[in-house]
Amino acid sequence: MNLLEVQNVSKSFGSLVAVSEVSLNVAPGELRAVIGPNGAGKTTFFNMISGFFPPSAGAIVFDGADVTQLPAYRRVEIGMGRTFQITEIFPELTVFENIRIAAEVAAGYRLRAWVGRQEASEIKSRVDEILSLAGIASKADRLVGELAHGDQRAAEIGMALALKPRLLLLDEPTAGMGDQETYEITNLIRRLHRDSKYTIVLIEHDMRVVFHLADRITVLDQGRLLAEGTPAEIAANEAVQAAYLGKAA
Amino acid sequence: MIAQALPRNWPKLAAIWAVLLLAPYWMPLIGGYTALGTNVLVFGLAAMALNFLLGFTGVLSFGHAAYFGLGAYGAGLILKYVYSSTLLALAAGVALGTVAGALLGALIVRRRGVYFAMCTIAFGQVFYYIAFQWSSFTGGDDGLRPFQRAPISLGPWTVDILSNQIAFYYFVLACFAVGVAAMAFLLRSPFGRTLLAIRENERRARFLGIPIERHIWLAFTVSCCFISLAGAMNGLVNNFANPRMLDYNQSGQIVIMAVLGGMRSFWGPLVGAAVFVTLQDYLSSQTQNWQSFLGMVFVLSVLFFPRGILGIRLSMASLKSGWAQLASLLGSPRKDAA
Amino acid sequence: MIYILNLANGLMIGAFYVLMALGLSLILNLSNVINFAHGGFLALGGYVAYTLSPFVGFWVALLLSPLIVAILGIVIERTMIRRLYGRDPLYSLLLTFGLAFILEDGARWWWGASGIPFTVPTFLSQPLSESFFFITRYRLFMVLMVVLVVGALFLFLRYTRVGVRIRAGTLDLDTVSSLGVNVRALRTFNFGLGIFLAAFSGVLASGQISLEPTMGAPLVMPSFVAIIVGGVGSLTGTLLGGLLIGVAAAITTVFWPSASEAVIYVMMAAVLLVRPRGLMGEEGMLS
Repeated sequence: MNLLEVQNVSKSFGSLVAVSEVSLNVAPGELRAVIGPNGAGKTTFFNMISGFFPPSAGAIVFDGADVTQLPAYRRVEIGMGRTFQITEIFPELTVFENIRIAAEVAAGYRLRAWVGRQEASEIKSRVDEILSLAGIASKADRLVGELAHGDQRAAEIGMALALKPRLLLLDEPTAGMGDQETYEITNLIRRLHRDSKYTIVLIEHDMRVVFHLADRITVLDQGRLLAEGTPAEIAANEAVQAAYLGKAA
Repeated sequence: MIAQALPRNWPKLAAIWAVLLLAPYWMPLIGGYTALGTNVLVFGLAAMALNFLLGFTGVLSFGHAAYFGLGAYGAGLILKYVYSSTLLALAAGVALGTVAGALLGALIVRRRGVYFAMCTIAFGQVFYYIAFQWSSFTGGDDGLRPFQRAPISLGPWTVDILSNQIAFYYFVLACFAVGVAAMAFLLRSPFGRTLLAIRENERRARFLGIPIERHIWLAFTVSCCFISLAGAMNGLVNNFANPRMLDYNQSGQIVIMAVLGGMRSFWGPLVGAAVFVTLQDYLSSQTQNWQSFLGMVFVLSVLFFPRGILGIRLSMASLKSGWAQLASLLGSPRKDAA
Repeated sequence: MIYILNLANGLMIGAFYVLMALGLSLILNLSNVINFAHGGFLALGGYVAYTLSPFVGFWVALLLSPLIVAILGIVIERTMIRRLYGRDPLYSLLLTFGLAFILEDGARWWWGASGIPFTVPTFLSQPLSESFFFITRYRLFMVLMVVLVVGALFLFLRYTRVGVRIRAGTLDLDTVSSLGVNVRALRTFNFGLGIFLAAFSGVLASGQISLEPTMGAPLVMPSFVAIIVGGVGSLTGTLLGGLLIGVAAAITTVFWPSASEAVIYVMMAAVLLVRPRGLMGEEGMLS
């Protein structure tokens, strides 16, 4: 059974139609890339999946359950983790503290006024685990706001991981990064996909990243589904090439 | 076990508590007096309670004096009409302020930012208005009086907090300690960390699975609880409660104490309260236009010291590294870029 | 009959609240600033008119005083408030709060603490007729002035370039600025406009109540409520809100005099419970 099924969703803002009847099915363990020229409606699409706002029409089914009207924080609880185009972290807290908050919420401690020693050390080891998975263990005590862009993104992904998600939604994870940082983040995502077997849906503009990572690719253009298929199929697809013609990737 | 319970910055804490414990003895040496210290503690607790919401959760309430005043009225009403027990009075004041805060907080928590602040101001005025108009019960503009704080009986001893200023100071200090310890405890807990998360990045907090409105409501209620404790003590300090303890002028003063002392620091608001209360005390005895001076304090601190007194330390550090970077840019070989 | 009279009375009171609230609303909508000093500018308007009128007469003072106070407001905006725009609204709130103190104390220092009566031209202060004794000509004049000014304001916002930019800026400042509009100048002008309205209210008010340094303070709160009830972000809402609370206060005075102020807050609480964005507010405005 598919982990995520997006069925014919549309979104309009007044008379502006941002997304029109797009469907998407993601199998467990799959890495799906969503691409398309600027203004294709990719982020709006993502926002609907993660619960930022509900779709104007259509349904979203996660692991067999209809989550279309579920608020964002509830979707996090049932297993959707998300990162944002502009890194959303807690700038004046350390990397460790950032991830610890996520881990505590995941453990159900968000209303707790007190944690016992045993519980605290369990949380600590979980955070350490994620820090090394994301490759930022050496920076655990630094303020996230002071880190380089790539490390901030890794920290943000770490926060999403701490929630024990079954699905990771990554919105342009390599946005604004240089070659070295792009390389590192791409490797991180690949480790998460191949080794830790996370199901991942990501929006990307950088085609090198897309073709390097994706099992399948969905192409949106002007709010509509243009094409879907394996990287090889998409690379050969003329309509996709035409949509991108003249627009910087 | 004890070693782990001791927080890392215990020397700083020990120094702070030493200063507070010995205040009745060192204050007269520099021209102060014990009652001033008591006032500083009361407003310090009020400012710290407000800062629980403002500095640590990132939510501005500009009508918080309503709960401060309710604490005073609650305490006064018990002492005047019901029973002469200080502890009961405190409990009543806290209960009144906390319940009011919980109810009103639930009403306005969906809004944020400027709109939320406006609602808190307006609701604060509701209580001012009630205290003012319901004069048969509350004494109206003259305030609720007379009542006075009752001596505390601890078994065989009676602590006379009515006429003994020093004994009263220590009583207030004890209540202050309880309030401060509780708030510190909460801020260090997982719940407290969710509040920091909300302050730092509300969207991210929401996407970590934190129900924002609910947590803000809880922070609001906790903050009202401790500010009403401060308010109840204020009632005891003055032996009366009047509507001015509730109005937005009072709210604004408490906010400026928190900002002046440093919103991001736990103890900052106490420092701010110390400065403000002392300044107000001094100025009002010196000049009739002390109001303009206080107004200047607001204006100047907002324009030039937004991070507050305890925040200046942090700016110093960044100032130093800034100089170093500038120096290295200009070719000075001795300083390295930070 | 008595209800109609009270309704009329309420509308007159409401008209006054409207003028105050509109100025507050203009500043709030475009610049996200809660102008606590609005009451202080109101008082200043009255005082300046009082000082000017022996020289230029009542009618000139009526227009000149708000102009002068508005210029002062602009100076304050440019030197102090402008610095705080990008920051947390807390800071501008504290700034205007401190300004309120300074203005009040300044007025106390310059003009004294006791109330000063402001003399109005005699033909205005006479009652309209024997039976409607409380509808003095002055009160009618006030309402007329308010209607004129509010009408002029709405026309200005609808049909002039600057007015349209102000309205657009309230909805989406980024787009307006990317269209090449000088947002800083716009905000300064808008602030001055809001202060003009406050000072104008002050001149009008001082014909009714005596000039005191604290005269503005009790009028600020109902203005807030008018904005909340009418809906943040909507000037028409503020207009409606002001009239509504004026009428509500007047009607309550008949049945339960001491609760006439409380009813304003009850309305506010009701609005927040039932329709939090206000009567005409838009979803998501400043939330």
